[in-house]
Amino acid sequence: MTRRTDNLIDALSRDLKAVTPLPRPWIRTLRWLGILIPYCAIAVMLLHFIGKLPSPVVDSQFLMEQSFAILTGITAAMAAFASTIPGQGRSYLAWPLIPLLGWLATLGEACFRNTSGGISFQHNLLCLPFIIILGTPPAIILWMMLRRGAPLTPSWTAALGALAAAGFGNFCVRFVHAEDVSLMLIVWHIGGIFLLTATTSAFGRFLLNWRATKKVSA
Amino acid sequence: MIPTTPEALMQRAQEGDTAAYVQLLNEITPILRRVIRRQRAFLSSEDIEDLVQEVLLSVHAVRATYDSNRPFMPWLFAITRNRLVDGVRRYSRQGAREISFEETAVTFAAIAANTIEEDFGERRDLHRAIENLPQAQRDAIEMLKLKDMSLKEASKASGMTTGALKVATHRAMSSLRKMFKNR
Repeated sequence: MTRRTDNLIDALSRDLKAVTPLPRPWIRTLRWLGILIPYCAIAVMLLHFIGKLPSPVVDSQFLMEQSFAILTGITAAMAAFASTIPGQGRSYLAWPLIPLLGWLATLGEACFRNTSGGISFQHNLLCLPFIIILGTPPAIILWMMLRRGAPLTPSWTAALGALAAAGFGNFCVRFVHAEDVSLMLIVWHIGGIFLLTATTSAFGRFLLNWRATKKVSA
Repeated sequence: MIPTTPEALMQRAQEGDTAAYVQLLNEITPILRRVIRRQRAFLSSEDIEDLVQEVLLSVHAVRATYDSNRPFMPWLFAITRNRLVDGVRRYSRQGAREISFEETAVTFAAIAANTIEEDFGERRDLHRAIENLPQAQRDAIEMLKLKDMSLKEASKASGMTTGALKVATHRAMSSLRKMFKNR
């Protein structure tokens, strides 16, 4: 049986090909953003142009919310990339926590202020196509990039990836989603994000089966 | 000159240096064997070697994820831990799916399969004893022992699975052994 291991080593080294080491998580995150920012900018402009949508009210609350949303997306993407590197440690899990809490806090605070005008949970389903157009590419591109690594903890990787895609997608959707009803945003958007994150995490092992994605010529 | 640290060897391996890669894999194999044996002391040597090979295959598959600025051993041990956990998961899944049964010698070549026949004496008594067996056991014995059919052929002819045929033969042989012992 030791013979078999020797044979395996021979087989693995026989056709050894040079590989490019994966860049650091923050570089991979920049590449992800580099693909998505132009796409989303063009998509938002086109949606405004075609749909004659009202522009969102850019005030301090909107800016805070958007800053925390994009930061959540960026830190979650970095954490997701870090989780595909064996031996990385688990500190990356904490990276998106602060921006996520900040994001929830800004929405919660705005929601508290707005309750005087009556609470409505009603959601305009017209924003669903925007969510699909602006939210799907970040998720698909990130999933493809994550598969290049070794997601040893696929549930965490999938959850962080979903949070990253949702954070970035939500950041973009807010540019075409002028309704500033924070309770509705919390219930539908943030609730949706948590649901997406939990569901993706549950299927992490299936979505990011790292052994199955790698081809070994031996 | 080939570098000696695993970090340098892995970096060279990433660049496609076969000699460095062989040296690296040869150096880490005994370490992996030791680590796996310590963590899975209950496994047989063959199972341990299987796990070592699993880790080597994984190392090969994800060698691009190694960052040469970081220490090599934590990277390797993270993969090893993952393979060990996966091994346990796979083992428990298999355990839940499979039913083990005693391996029975059912071919004429096996000595164990031929010992009873020597004690039978009269052919007629043997046939009578076989006739008293339940239908499935009788069919199995007739096809595999008397008609000299292979397991595959017997399975095709009877519609029974090879596993069921083995079990039936084993039971039939036990019953026949008991019958002739009590005489």
